[in-house]
Amino acid sequence: MVTYQLDIWGEMCPIPIIKTQRKLKEMSCGDVLILETDHSCTSRALVVWAREHGHDIKEEEVSNGIWRLELIKKRD
Amino acid sequence: MLKKSQQKLNLGFSIFILLLILLLLQVSVKLALTFAVSLGLGFVLQKSRFCFVSAFRDPLLTGTTKLTEAVILLLAISVPGFAIVYHLAETLNYPLQLYVTPFGIHTFMGGILFGTGMVLAGGCASGVLMRIGEGFAMQMVALGGLLIGVFIGKNSIPFMLSTFYEFPGIFLPDIMGWGPAVALQLFILFVLWKVTRWWQKKQKGFE
Repeated sequence: MVTYQLDIWGEMCPIPIIKTQRKLKEMSCGDVLILETDHSCTSRALVVWAREHGHDIKEEEVSNGIWRLELIKKRD
Repeated sequence: MLKKSQQKLNLGFSIFILLLILLLLQVSVKLALTFAVSLGLGFVLQKSRFCFVSAFRDPLLTGTTKLTEAVILLLAISVPGFAIVYHLAETLNYPLQLYVTPFGIHTFMGGILFGTGMVLAGGCASGVLMRIGEGFAMQMVALGGLLIGVFIGKNSIPFMLSTFYEFPGIFLPDIMGWGPAVALQLFILFVLWKVTRWWQKKQKGFE
């Protein structure tokens, strides 16, 4: 299991989702991807997108207006 | 990892808003009500993470149709809702202003321009305002652009109307009556909803 990080600070949808899609292609099943964003809608959109595509995702507001997402790749 | 509490700020702001509404009530009831409704709309918009841009963009870019369905539901509620409002206004003899605006080629041009702009800016008009309130600084730039666009648009209407032919606005209830108009619109929305469901399934199947 490898942990990856992806920098999506200050990016607006849909760029974070497209970046995540690209990153997920490089990863293998079971790998973890950590994302941090300061955009509330991005966080929400990523959670919805990941759940719909069958990945595990945890959302946490670590500070006011900063969200940390932990995505576990479940399938290709 | 420390989460600073914003409870004191919340309380202070709530009191401020309450006093402001009381102040507006002294001026005019209509103004106070408008203010209260706008506040409520903004609050719901922020808490629900509702995003019109996402509704039109995500089905094509990421294959998520959740917000598209939400917008269809919104329209499906507001169509009968407006019919009710119209009939209430008629029975209470309250004058109602209907914005049945004429349309033409300039409408489609404006739609394409606004659509391109809102995808680039990451928010439509309400979304931009809501995210400025949340403190997302990049949207300030978008607001500047929005204001410039509105200014140009407002001042170029006579030119647009003289350049392109315009068709008179169509108000469906005037043509076919209220019942069939509402039914037709709901049917179209239902078809659109079926199409989004189908699109969602297709997108998932390809993954």
